Amino acid sequence: MIELKGFHFEFIRKMRFFLLLSALAVGGSVFLMATKGLNFGTDFKGGMKLLYRFSRPVAEGDLRRLLEPLNLGDFSVQKVGRPEENRMAIKLEQQEGLETLSTKIGETFRTGPGDVSFILEQEETVGPKAGAALRKKATLAIIVSWLLILIYIGYRFDFAFAPGAIIALIHDVLITLGGFVVSGREVSLTVVAALLTIVGYSVNDTIVIYDRIRENLPKMQKLPLREVINISINETLSRTIITNLTVFIVVILIYLFGEGEFQNFGFAMIVGALSGTYSTIFVASPCYIFLKEYGPRIRALWK
Amino acid sequence: MITKNWRTKTLLTVALTLLSLYFLVPTLFPETPGGLARLFPAKVIRLGLDLRGGIYVEVEVELEDALKNRSDLISSEIKRLLEKEPFAPQAVERVPESTEIELTLKNDSDRERISSWVRENYANVLAEKRAEKTVLLDLTEKFADQTKDMAVRQALETIRHRIDRYGVAEPTIVRLGANRISVELPGMTDPERALKLIKTAGWLEFRLVDETVPDEEVRRRVAEALASLQLPEDYKAETVEAINSKLKGKIPADDEILFEAQYDPVTKRLTGGIPYLLKRKADVTGDMLKSANVDVDNNEPYVSLSFNNTGTRLFAALTAANVGKRLAIVLDGNVSKAPVIKSEIPSGNAQITLGYGDYASLHQEATDLALVLREGALPARLKELTKTVVGPSLGQDSIRRGVRVSLVAALLIIVFMALYYRLSGMMANIALLLNILLVLGALAIFQATLTLPGIAGIVLTIGMAVDANVLIFERMREELRAGRAAKNALQAGYANAMSAILDSNITTFLSGVVLYQFGTGPIRGFAVTLMIGIVTTLFTAIVVTRIFQEWVLYGLKRERLSV
Repeated sequence: MIELKGFHFEFIRKMRFFLLLSALAVGGSVFLMATKGLNFGTDFKGGMKLLYRFSRPVAEGDLRRLLEPLNLGDFSVQKVGRPEENRMAIKLEQQEGLETLSTKIGETFRTGPGDVSFILEQEETVGPKAGAALRKKATLAIIVSWLLILIYIGYRFDFAFAPGAIIALIHDVLITLGGFVVSGREVSLTVVAALLTIVGYSVNDTIVIYDRIRENLPKMQKLPLREVINISINETLSRTIITNLTVFIVVILIYLFGEGEFQNFGFAMIVGALSGTYSTIFVASPCYIFLKEYGPRIRALWK
Repeated sequence: MITKNWRTKTLLTVALTLLSLYFLVPTLFPETPGGLARLFPAKVIRLGLDLRGGIYVEVEVELEDALKNRSDLISSEIKRLLEKEPFAPQAVERVPESTEIELTLKNDSDRERISSWVRENYANVLAEKRAEKTVLLDLTEKFADQTKDMAVRQALETIRHRIDRYGVAEPTIVRLGANRISVELPGMTDPERALKLIKTAGWLEFRLVDETVPDEEVRRRVAEALASLQLPEDYKAETVEAINSKLKGKIPADDEILFEAQYDPVTKRLTGGIPYLLKRKADVTGDMLKSANVDVDNNEPYVSLSFNNTGTRLFAALTAANVGKRLAIVLDGNVSKAPVIKSEIPSGNAQITLGYGDYASLHQEATDLALVLREGALPARLKELTKTVVGPSLGQDSIRRGVRVSLVAALLIIVFMALYYRLSGMMANIALLLNILLVLGALAIFQATLTLPGIAGIVLTIGMAVDANVLIFERMREELRAGRAAKNALQAGYANAMSAILDSNITTFLSGVVLYQFGTGPIRGFAVTLMIGIVTTLFTAIVVTRIFQEWVLYGLKRERLSV
């Protein structure tokens, strides 16, 4: 059998260092989100997104110049997809008469450079109210999923396990969003779906370790808590690495083969999966330790 | 000795596999010859909008419109009913831009009798409000709510009928909340036309032109009003309303200005509008139509109308009494044409000629208009909230790419599992393939919609599916290392890993549930494939691989576990 024999890492002893690292990363993410802000897609921001496919390569600048006289306000022209596909995405912000703009733009292209033909592959129009409503819905969905999992873990395991799991999940979501701010990638509904998947999936790792801890505790009563947890993590290490590996393979494939929204989905999953593994080992378990060790002391203070 | 449940488990697995294959036949072999095809179910896996192409639009019913229309109807009714009474009011009018109805009295002493008459006849419909010189009525809250609800339901039905007639395969028309409606039309090749069909209000009115004010005078006053107001260059409802309120006092009280929009025949761009001074009251309306059809005269398609008895009677009376005057045909607030009445028209037939254009496009316009008029007008205007149009080519590209990713992913994982877990790994691989089959089969059986994120969900399931197997195998390795015999290690492996497997998959399933609840369209597709994937993963990991393991150990009587 191929296996990792005799590998033992002192996860828990180095606990404080890793927790600090996490806190910094999360803090950085939140700071970036507040200052630079997330690049929201059309479905969250409102406005219109048009996806055109041309018969030959077209320069972004040329299209911009063609569209200038239409007074479209603040709009963006971007190449998307693979270069040989000649796809361009035009994003417009919320304005009067938005619905008629796609026909007007189509006409402008038709009367523009004569030698190129095009097709409108996709058109998405979102009213201002719809965009804001969607943002609220997405945030609510993420929070609800956190709560559901909190309840579930509290019910299946010792209640002291739950806060650790939730903090790990919040950590994962914030770090993934931070990744989006740094890379400037667009956050669309598909990305929110990735976030929710990460929430559900990242907690898997956490549960496997918790399960092992739960099993080992009665067996290793003579050992201090930290030791038991360290052993549990090491024991489940091979499983953790392998399952993360398989998901990782899949997710990298999505990232490489996907385009546009799908590539962003892959990106979110990659950051989320990495963060998930990290948070399971270095955030969830330490939180449990803190609660178990300092819990009684805090309760005593309360009374 | 093979364990007791082995036979049951194997039978179950084989049954599910065959069932899935059975339901997938139509999808995999779309061209089965007629006779053979009848043996298999007719359902193909449904493709979502983003894979098939089509249009999805969310509209909001302008409820204020509906309430005002209702008020209009009620005020006409009151006027008619009170005509013969001694305390008949001088005028019954809906207050513009409100739902209130104002009755101007002939004598102040009539107030009491009118009030009690209203209370008697419109008990839960109207309530009286304080007013000085007139009787002011408004719709009760309960009635207003009822009207609003009715309006949305009616809009839903009208849209449904129009789309039915239009003949779109599998449209999905759903009411969202209090006043929104979503329409999904897959495979639509002409989204603009479909959208127009949905949004066209379809209000047809025949109104007399007020000939007391000469045309140039009308044009001058309108030009004045336009110059003083900063208005967009269109003739939409808001613009026209603004012009009319600016001209209050300058035009007779029972008239309003409406425009005939003019288009350049080549570019179809709006070039201007001719103002008409029309009477507010519409003597003949679209709900008096018996039928509307497309006819051709001199190679020009037009819509021919035929009124019912009431309509014919009113139309005849109208034309008889107003020979020499112009009668405007008003469609959705825009004047279509205003021909001069040459003589009485007793037949109850009328025509609507359309603008300029080639034969084909005119014919199409006429067909659509006739359809809208036949099915009836919308009770209120619809405001477009969200619209997504997807061309079919994008969808096919996406499918191809999605399938490619799935294949590569599956291949890589299969190779890895075989190398790392050897024979057990191969068993997990077979289980994986079966897993994918079951997911697709479930999609076919439940007629769930496969969207592009849904394909991502399947790919993700491939990655997560091995997780359960890994848990079991790692556990088995541990047990073996601890010195247990093969058969015991097998049992212990499955038993101990079970709780972790269940818990971790249930939480991912919970995520899927949240996604399903909060998501729409494509995201729901993702949630569905994710959830189905988890169920099938649990089944294949727990039941199927165990069958193989047990067969090897007990059936083939091997001594050692290969893991």
